[in-house]
Amino acid sequence: MRLSVAAAVATFCAAILLHPLFEGGAWFWGSLGAVLTVLVASAISGRLSLPTWAAGLVSLATLGVYLTASFAGDKAWALFVPTKGSAAELLKLLATGWDDIQRFAAPVPGDNPGIALLTTGGVGIIAIAVDLLAARMRRAALAGLPMLALATVPATILLEPIAWWAFIIAALGFTGLLIADGRERVGHWGRAVLVRRTRAATTPSPGESADTRGLRLSGKRIGFAAIAIAVVVPAFLPPLEPVSFFSFGVGGQGTGGRGNMIQIPNPVTNMKGQLTLPEKRTVLTYTNNDDVPRYLRIYSLDIFDGDQFGLTKPKGAPENRTDAGPLPPPPGLGGGVETVNAVTDIKISEEVENLAFLPLPYPPREVRADGDWRADVSTLMVFSTRDSASGLEYQVATSEPQPTPDQLRALQPPQQPNVEARYLRLPEDFPADLRDLAYEQTKGAETQYDAALKLQEFFTKTGNFTYDLRTQGSSTSALRDFLLSSKVGYCEQFASAMAVLARAIGIPARVAVGYTGGDKVGDRWTVGTDDSHSWPELYFEGVGWLPFEPTPAGSAGQGSARVPEYARPQPTPTATSSSPTPGATARGEELPPGQQPGRNPREIDDREARLGGAGLPAEEPTPLIAKIGIGVAILLLLLLIPAAIRQITRSRRVRALGWKVSAPSDELTARVIAGSHPSVAAAWAELDDILYDYGMAREPSETPRALARRLTQRYEFDAESAAAMTSIAATVERVLFARDPGVVGPLGKDLRKVRRALAATLSRGRRIRAALLPPSTLRRLRSMGEGVLDGFDRLETLRFRRSATR
Amino acid sequence: MAVTHDVPQRLEELVSTAHRIRQAIESVIEGKSDAVRLTLTVLLAEGHLLIEDVPGVGKTMLAKALARSIDCPVRRVQFTPDLLPSDITGVSAYNQQTREFEFKPGPVFANIVVGDEINRASPKTQSALLECMEEHQVTVDGVTYHLESPFMVIATQNPIEMEGTYPLPEAQRDRFTARVAMGYPEPAAELEMLDVHGGTPPLDKLEPVATTAEVRALIEAVRGVYVSQPVKKYAIDLAVATRHSPDLRLGASPRSTLQLVRAARAHAALSGRDYVIPDDLQDLAVPVLAHRLLPSVEAQGQRRLPEQVVGDLVRRVPVPETRA
Repeated sequence: MRLSVAAAVATFCAAILLHPLFEGGAWFWGSLGAVLTVLVASAISGRLSLPTWAAGLVSLATLGVYLTASFAGDKAWALFVPTKGSAAELLKLLATGWDDIQRFAAPVPGDNPGIALLTTGGVGIIAIAVDLLAARMRRAALAGLPMLALATVPATILLEPIAWWAFIIAALGFTGLLIADGRERVGHWGRAVLVRRTRAATTPSPGESADTRGLRLSGKRIGFAAIAIAVVVPAFLPPLEPVSFFSFGVGGQGTGGRGNMIQIPNPVTNMKGQLTLPEKRTVLTYTNNDDVPRYLRIYSLDIFDGDQFGLTKPKGAPENRTDAGPLPPPPGLGGGVETVNAVTDIKISEEVENLAFLPLPYPPREVRADGDWRADVSTLMVFSTRDSASGLEYQVATSEPQPTPDQLRALQPPQQPNVEARYLRLPEDFPADLRDLAYEQTKGAETQYDAALKLQEFFTKTGNFTYDLRTQGSSTSALRDFLLSSKVGYCEQFASAMAVLARAIGIPARVAVGYTGGDKVGDRWTVGTDDSHSWPELYFEGVGWLPFEPTPAGSAGQGSARVPEYARPQPTPTATSSSPTPGATARGEELPPGQQPGRNPREIDDREARLGGAGLPAEEPTPLIAKIGIGVAILLLLLLIPAAIRQITRSRRVRALGWKVSAPSDELTARVIAGSHPSVAAAWAELDDILYDYGMAREPSETPRALARRLTQRYEFDAESAAAMTSIAATVERVLFARDPGVVGPLGKDLRKVRRALAATLSRGRRIRAALLPPSTLRRLRSMGEGVLDGFDRLETLRFRRSATR
Repeated sequence: MAVTHDVPQRLEELVSTAHRIRQAIESVIEGKSDAVRLTLTVLLAEGHLLIEDVPGVGKTMLAKALARSIDCPVRRVQFTPDLLPSDITGVSAYNQQTREFEFKPGPVFANIVVGDEINRASPKTQSALLECMEEHQVTVDGVTYHLESPFMVIATQNPIEMEGTYPLPEAQRDRFTARVAMGYPEPAAELEMLDVHGGTPPLDKLEPVATTAEVRALIEAVRGVYVSQPVKKYAIDLAVATRHSPDLRLGASPRSTLQLVRAARAHAALSGRDYVIPDDLQDLAVPVLAHRLLPSVEAQGQRRLPEQVVGDLVRRVPVPETRA
């Protein structure tokens, strides 16, 4: 019975590993029920002493009844007896569940009856397998295999690492099963061999017939230690992939947020890389019904950490799948604003790899794409955890708000902006001079819209900014540098800087990364790698997110950038300000199609080609031999650590020998310290370590006097060394045990003599080994390890005490 | 303790007196210095000694030599099955002249009592002696008579002839501070014995070298020997180890811990030290502890004697205050 319970607990612990696959807790209770059902069945068949095969059948039948009662109760007789109808219902549910699993990506809704049935049934069958293996066939170790199968499900489906706590729970469950099996097994032996480690002698066993406490204890020690090592060690090892096995430790931390289900390359780096490609590649082509180029947004960066903008993990609930109808409404867009509806057909190039986000004009209203694509409600990014956009053809309908400047000016900034606070958040150490700059530039602006315009104007006109891809870095200081002194940057700097300044004056802002509208080639708009772009989006209550364009356009800027209609300052004749880059000020539809690329694509390409090296310096690969050399050197240094520690300890003791008061380094007694004879303590500890290093270690039961006798006799000390040894032993003895130790002379000389006499008996190799790899340091490490194990023991007693009080 | 002040001075005295006694005894018993030293140790520790060995190795001789070398009353009791308790403690006899009961002290009223072949007496008689040993007093007809200090019982026991004997039960063996086995002498010592003692009985030539008062002073000095906490703890560790050893059915009693430390004091004093070191305990562990212990069935099966078990424990139990 104990084994059956342990098997059930272990199975359930392993089932907890499934948690990231589901939303909601229905699967949890279902699985718990299944495990309990199997436990009851196992208990019954154990009571009836059924053979193994019959026990398996009983468990299966009971599980069947449980599944019928939970999932097809209305078709069953008396709510739980399976009938033809209920079986058909279950089969139907299974089929739906199977389809749903094919269709959905994790996390799937846990209350979907088909998926719940599959999960519950699966956990139940695993429970039966574990129970049969552990409790019936007494092969508890083999029972780990079905549980491992359970654990591989989340590991293979999710890119996300297994949560370490879930792993610990599962491992503890399995350890518990093994311990229960061991106890059961040893319980039939008779008197157990005690393996409890104590300092003096073995603990007595009470006169029970089979006392397995000792074995259980060491089993648990091994189990705990193994689990602890399994969890902790990977955290310190450099992972082979950037995704570590558990969600903490080295790796896994990226700008895109760690532990993502989807792999998000750092959007900024990615964009920069595309911009600096030596030759332009086509990323996508599109057509739309009104033939207007539109910015295509891929990522929306919302978190400013002081260095750069990053992305929070997008959340794609199953109900926001693109094939489940229209997307959520764009945030903040109210009635009364004219919108332009457009339908865009986009085709992503086959060459694009690892693109898990769809480039879309903002705001998408509806997306028709093959695969499991989901929209993030807050940003309307569309992404997939399992499909890639490579070569994808899809259609998107957009409702682009076209507010007039008057409408925008009429907007009242709300007391409480209806967007998440993260769009306004700046780091606490945000430089005050940048905030001042933001206020200074927007002085006199009566509305947020005017302030935004002034900011944009600051970048495009009044600020004397220059577009240059060469700029490196994106830290706060780089941002300050860009805004206050160098004023040289490319779209990332412009976009980030404007977003940051907007946040500084209280306008919610974020940075969009994607592509500009591209160029018209033939009858399709073509977007290439050099159209990679980044722009700020500012939020206005009632209109929603509006893109702005602080980056200079044209030959001296981002070639295909364009300023939106509403963002063009109208009251003052600033149109001329954009005159050097007429393409940037004119809406695409006003331009002859295809003119922009014809303007100066070569020039940009040349610039980018020239700057390529400076922009992303390629790392010289370290030669293999050097790598091996470095590795060997590090290894050697590591190996020298014990020797170094030994030297430090020795020099500390030698100082103590010189009668300077310093704390004795190790286990020497409180009495010695209290008796303030640090020199004796140091001498004795040093002698102990010397002996240990030389392989003549003192027995724990050897008294100072006996030690002196042994050394003098076995190593045939001459009279001088023997006298020195006797003097050390007598002094230590006096200090340790006499009422009044009397005058204690310095022992340094004696110690040196003994040391020399001992060393003389050793071979040179042995002496060198003792110096380079002193075993006494390793002994200290070992005692530390024992301390850790003792800690486990204390955990053990804690638990015992609690159960005793219960 | 008031005695502690002049301990070093007394120690010198003690060492020289003890040396004299040892020499006196060793002039009679050849080549048994360990046994002689242990005997002295027990005397100074106010304990009692159990000498256990085959006949004719000098058990009685040792006891007598010790008694003779100290100028003190010595009584010898030959234990036989028909010995009565009153033969040990003494009887109240009716004095016709005074018309009163008069107490006739038994042989136990002496400083050194030699009980020969103690295992031949009935348990009742044995226990009468053992009561005196523990309490240092005799109660006859409701009157309590105190025994003089020093009071030491040296009992001999012959382990070979078991027929018609009553081996001392554990509880009574526990009263003896130490057990010593004489062992056969070395051939050289035996030869010398033949040469020297061939003609005259050796004991006749033995003159007392110390007085009772001197011995009492020595005992007092031994009481002042310092035992540090770690050493006390070590003694307890040793006792606890015997209690937990799987080779032993019965471990050492708290009384044995007490006697071990007492004996260690004497041992240290005999070495001229006024403090006890773990070596003293190690040297005494076997003679002081082994005779009180009962081997387990497994140990008996492996023919492991308690002496060996105690020896192993001494090698295993870490000495105090120094790291393992």
